[in-house]
Amino acid sequence: MHNDWIALFVILPLAGGIITTALCGNVVLQRIAGLLVLGATGLTAVLLGSQLSPEVPVLVSFMGGWQPPYGIAIALDGVSATLIGIANIVAIAAYFHSFSTLSPAMERRWFHPLFHLLILGVNFSFITGDLFNLFVAFEIMLMASYALIVLGGGRAQMSQAYKYVVLNLVGSTVFVLTAGLLYGIVGTLNYADLARIVSDAKSTGAALPTGFQTLSVMMLFVFALKGAVFPLWFWLPDTYHTMPSSISALFAALLSKVGVYAVLRLFPSVFASPGAEGLTFVNQILPIAAGLTMLIAIGCALSAMNVRRILAMVLIAHVGYLIFGITLMRPMAFAATLHYMGQEMIVMAGLMLCCGVIEKRAGSMRLDELGGLAKSMPGVATMFFVLMIGLIGVPPLAGFYGKALLLREGIGAGSWGLVSATVFTAVLTLVVMLRIWVRAFWGESNSPGFAVPEGAEAGPSLRYGFAMVGISITAVASVGYGFAAEPTLAWATYATRELDNPQEYMFAVLGDRAPAAQPTAAIHKGMTTHEMKTIAMEGDQ
Amino acid sequence: MTVLLSICVAVIFAVSVYLFTSRDLKSVAMGVFLFSHAAHLGIIAMSGQPLLTVSGETIRKAAPILGTSEAGLHVDPLPQALILTSIVISFAVTGFLLALLVAQHRRVQSMDVADLRDEDRPELPASIETVEMA
Repeated sequence: MHNDWIALFVILPLAGGIITTALCGNVVLQRIAGLLVLGATGLTAVLLGSQLSPEVPVLVSFMGGWQPPYGIAIALDGVSATLIGIANIVAIAAYFHSFSTLSPAMERRWFHPLFHLLILGVNFSFITGDLFNLFVAFEIMLMASYALIVLGGGRAQMSQAYKYVVLNLVGSTVFVLTAGLLYGIVGTLNYADLARIVSDAKSTGAALPTGFQTLSVMMLFVFALKGAVFPLWFWLPDTYHTMPSSISALFAALLSKVGVYAVLRLFPSVFASPGAEGLTFVNQILPIAAGLTMLIAIGCALSAMNVRRILAMVLIAHVGYLIFGITLMRPMAFAATLHYMGQEMIVMAGLMLCCGVIEKRAGSMRLDELGGLAKSMPGVATMFFVLMIGLIGVPPLAGFYGKALLLREGIGAGSWGLVSATVFTAVLTLVVMLRIWVRAFWGESNSPGFAVPEGAEAGPSLRYGFAMVGISITAVASVGYGFAAEPTLAWATYATRELDNPQEYMFAVLGDRAPAAQPTAAIHKGMTTHEMKTIAMEGDQ
Repeated sequence: MTVLLSICVAVIFAVSVYLFTSRDLKSVAMGVFLFSHAAHLGIIAMSGQPLLTVSGETIRKAAPILGTSEAGLHVDPLPQALILTSIVISFAVTGFLLALLVAQHRRVQSMDVADLRDEDRPELPASIETVEMA
């Protein structure tokens, strides 16, 4: 259905960026304006997302009124709406957190405008329906991230930023080259039109144009670089721990997931469409990449000493899960992927935010210098624990359902290698997180930040009111996401039901030019509570 | 024509990849710029011949203005629009990269890739948070 209001997801953050630039110098007004804009984006996500129904599965807007495939379309479907909503929760949490942890000098400079421009790029990537536009959205997002990475200008940041910028530039250039070549081969860059071409080729049994598979692999390179998939993840752990924690939380939650979203959106329907002639190679390397991402990243997490580095490695290992879910090419596996991606965004951001407070207070983030945090920082320790068990996937919390469903679908598809890699990674995630818990939160407090100076009665006292608000938002969202697993899983199932064959999406975007099949109005019900319990008993976490 | 362009693209890509392998950050930056030029040239090469052979006669394709040329006889405008957008973006990013290079040289006092590793240099603070504590 036509609805131009979905452009608000781009307009609102842009307005936020402009307003906060104009208010530069007045931090209080910037904060209020920023929160209002984020709140308005969240409200728009709820209002527009609730309009999606079996009768109106996709909301579309054509830029400038030009019809696709020639004009640019932006489209909001269940997947986009979910991810925009969750990204917004994370952004609000990180924004609150930044008020009390970011140094005033950094905040006075350009933190606020850059923050909103980053959100602009992320939202734009989620709603765009055109490959070249996705490139533009990535560039907006990356440009803001380049500037955020060097904000403050510490030596460690400066030395890592160059690597990050150069790698992403190479990725972007390969992206634009691939987009140009794809246009030369098939003559369109519209998602729906690409999906139509692939599904036409499948239904008639015709081969795809020569070179399509090469372009698929190039596309995989681009998205794997953004999403930190093996072997292209090496830049991520080096950069994330150099940034202020509110920014690295935002990066952890949003930037890598945008890459995974692009794979989820484009690979099942276009670039690795199962059953299409001549796309088998991509389908072969995706599972290998997923398995190696999980195993190697979790091994690195075991050996690292810096908590933020460990979390970055765990984040990468869990990107492997998401890619695993996509490679199965089954509707329920897509649902599990989306559900898990949502919870991963919230939990990872929350853990990174906790690290920010701990690092500020304890003065170190190394496991051998931390200790006794459970006694000295009980509030943060509680939140960290809640988020940690969410990440590990203890049954009442959200991490469990996505993982259980993923394993069930994996067993159903018979990919035993990846299923065992997933279980192994899940167990090692438990070990890694317990290692952090035992060494940093238990034991005696010997952190440099708690050392009482000579002649003083206590160490420096610092206030983290806003930071705790931010962390609480993620903790509450993560717990709520888990306890509301029945509606959230039902929604994820509904949103992803036809990612591999997007009939309704094509019909909404292309109208009469879509393949003959009409959109089905079938209502996909989620699992019942009973089924949920059955999985809970079968799963062995 | 397309073959000539493809050879140019291949050579520029090769040069830029050679520059990527350098230890000097300035050369890496140059490699990045050349890389994006090669990509743009590749898209132009992909967008088809500007000449068209109609019944033995070679003609120049017309400008893609609605109403002035027949369908199929004009140049495809979209790849050029793509490249224009991409050039503007890579121009901006190039500027940023050069500024970063200067700022980074002031901070790290080195233009060598090997000095970008922070594990070997414990005298560098691990992150910005601890910088402020100190």
